[in-house]
Amino acid sequence: MDTSAIIVESVTHRFGKLVAVDNLSFGVDQGEIFGLLGPNGAGKTTAINLITGLLRRQHGAIKVMGFDPLTEPRQVRQLIGYVPQETNLYADLNAVDNLLHHAALYCADLKAAPGRIEALLRMMSLGERRSDPVRTYSGGMKRRLALARALLHEPQVIFFDEPTLGVDVQGRHMLWEHIKAQQAQGKTFIVSTNDMAEADALCERLVIIDHGRAIALDAPEQLKTALGRDIIELRTTPAVEDPAALFAGLGIGAITRTTADQLRIEVQDAEAIVGEFISRVTAIGHRPQHRLESVRIARPSLDDVFLHHTGRGLRE
Amino acid sequence: MARFRLLLLTEFKLFRATVPVHLIAILQPTLLFLLMGLVLVYPTFDMAVARPTTPEAAAHVEALVSAMRQVGSPIGLPYINPILVEAPVQGATRQIITVEDRDGAPTAVQRYGLIDSNLVKNFRNRLTAAGLRLWNGSLGRRGVLVEEHPWLPRDLPYTLYFGVALLPMTVCLAASLLGGVGTAMDFEFGAITEYRLAPLSPALILAARLVRLVLTALVSAGILLAAIGLSTGAWPQASPQLAALPLVAAILLPVAVTAGCLGIIAGLILRRTIPTFVVGLTASLGGWLLGDAFGLAAGFGGGYQAVSRLTPNAHAVELLFRPYYGVTVAAPASSALALTLFSGGMVLLTALAYRRAVIRPMGDHPRQRRSRR
Repeated sequence: MDTSAIIVESVTHRFGKLVAVDNLSFGVDQGEIFGLLGPNGAGKTTAINLITGLLRRQHGAIKVMGFDPLTEPRQVRQLIGYVPQETNLYADLNAVDNLLHHAALYCADLKAAPGRIEALLRMMSLGERRSDPVRTYSGGMKRRLALARALLHEPQVIFFDEPTLGVDVQGRHMLWEHIKAQQAQGKTFIVSTNDMAEADALCERLVIIDHGRAIALDAPEQLKTALGRDIIELRTTPAVEDPAALFAGLGIGAITRTTADQLRIEVQDAEAIVGEFISRVTAIGHRPQHRLESVRIARPSLDDVFLHHTGRGLRE
Repeated sequence: MARFRLLLLTEFKLFRATVPVHLIAILQPTLLFLLMGLVLVYPTFDMAVARPTTPEAAAHVEALVSAMRQVGSPIGLPYINPILVEAPVQGATRQIITVEDRDGAPTAVQRYGLIDSNLVKNFRNRLTAAGLRLWNGSLGRRGVLVEEHPWLPRDLPYTLYFGVALLPMTVCLAASLLGGVGTAMDFEFGAITEYRLAPLSPALILAARLVRLVLTALVSAGILLAAIGLSTGAWPQASPQLAALPLVAAILLPVAVTAGCLGIIAGLILRRTIPTFVVGLTASLGGWLLGDAFGLAAGFGGGYQAVSRLTPNAHAVELLFRPYYGVTVAAPASSALALTLFSGGMVLLTALAYRRAVIRPMGDHPRQRRSRR
């Protein structure tokens, strides 16, 4: 039995000469929270637009719950919900009116819509503000209302583009909890984000996209473990001029100068080797004599994963 | 039906997002009518006549004033309201008639003190008409006979025609502005994505939008109709078969549909509020000016008449003649057919434009398809 919610196979899309999505392939299982992680302009929103059928793909194949969004758009639209990056609620209407409008456009059973609206507003902690115009809402409230709207017609797959964009810390966690609660009811989420913390907190699996290409696909922990590296960050005064020579023979991996006086070094086992690093940096007799300002051991982050694959940070 | 009602209700609620546009679209034509009513020529002119200063002049002044009171429409209103005033001491700074003795002949001398040559013409023509009565009275069978044959059953002020000709423009303005701005705002604020992904039939969505535009436009027309009636005393009269107000609504409805479709198409293509507003405003004013705005097209020459056929306004004004003036002008059947074709054609165009702009996936442009071959 096919448990795929989404299948993307070798999808490519160009805007003129710009290749926005380049031979992208991945699958999403039903009931999964799947992430599209990448910097701005990586092609995440384009990928979502292709999957939802908002954009006509030029090459490749896409299936959403077994339906092709281009040839079977109505079936796909009944199955999906979409929360775009820019919250597109009607600011001069209140929450109930926004949801009623959505119900008229999307819900198969209109009679059940009022009850469902009440339940969703309670769930999203918007019940008390239901009659206030949306323009008076905070960013987090608007995102929660947008999620409620996307859930109103009981879709099976929800696309959430930058879920916590413009939302404060408390609102972020609240939104994450709501998404996980919906997942527990069997919903599938495709979350597009450039926020590593969000990807770590939410996604069971994710694909890292850069320049339209999938550069890595796995669970976040697996991606980090796959690096096989720990990170040691050293800051010295003066800066170490030739770290490769200074740390030769220690089995180090990539060395990156993150700032003028700070080095980021990939090693196999940071705890075992950090002492030797400190000794070499501070050894008497070196010219020039270095002073160790700070040292930090870190496990790889998704940013490190991205850096490993692309040679630059996620937010560069 | 419940779904359509819900869509329609939301369409009406969205007026909160465009209150200023609603005010302009609904009230501006009525304000225009009321303002123009203050400056438009009213048939009856007050004409000042200097009181006689001698007993000999008194008889001539009395005869002139009596003749002036007889000048008027053969079916209605008098054209002159003579007012006796004190003779001016210095030069006239306004219109005034004095009866003076010129070589023994009593002469009506009219001084104007005006800069508006059209107004001068009106005063001159009225005095001449009064003088013609005096001449005919004294010339007897050698007098100049003037016959007037009005083609309307009753005399009605020009402000009435002006207001009636504004009715189609009113529905055009309301429907096109609100349809255009509302559609453009959907694009500007991203709400169009809701429509793009909706599994609902686009026909139902468009129908709800058009019905809302038509109803709002008819309300706007109702406000103007009330202003016309209250200021002129003229209300549409029922024909033998059709009651008055439903008939007027039936005439204006296809105009509203046409204009609403135009506005929606402009919004779908331009996708920006201000340019769409300008298009709606220009189209409404253009249709008004070319569509019998100041008089029936037949009175303005063949070229204007031909162009006016291309506007729904002209056909609507001519159909409105019957309920307001009691006469039928032009060819009602062809006007009704023209309005039906206008509205039907525009609905079709709107559906095609909506399909292209909203339903069809983005990036599905013929130019892009050609480049991929």
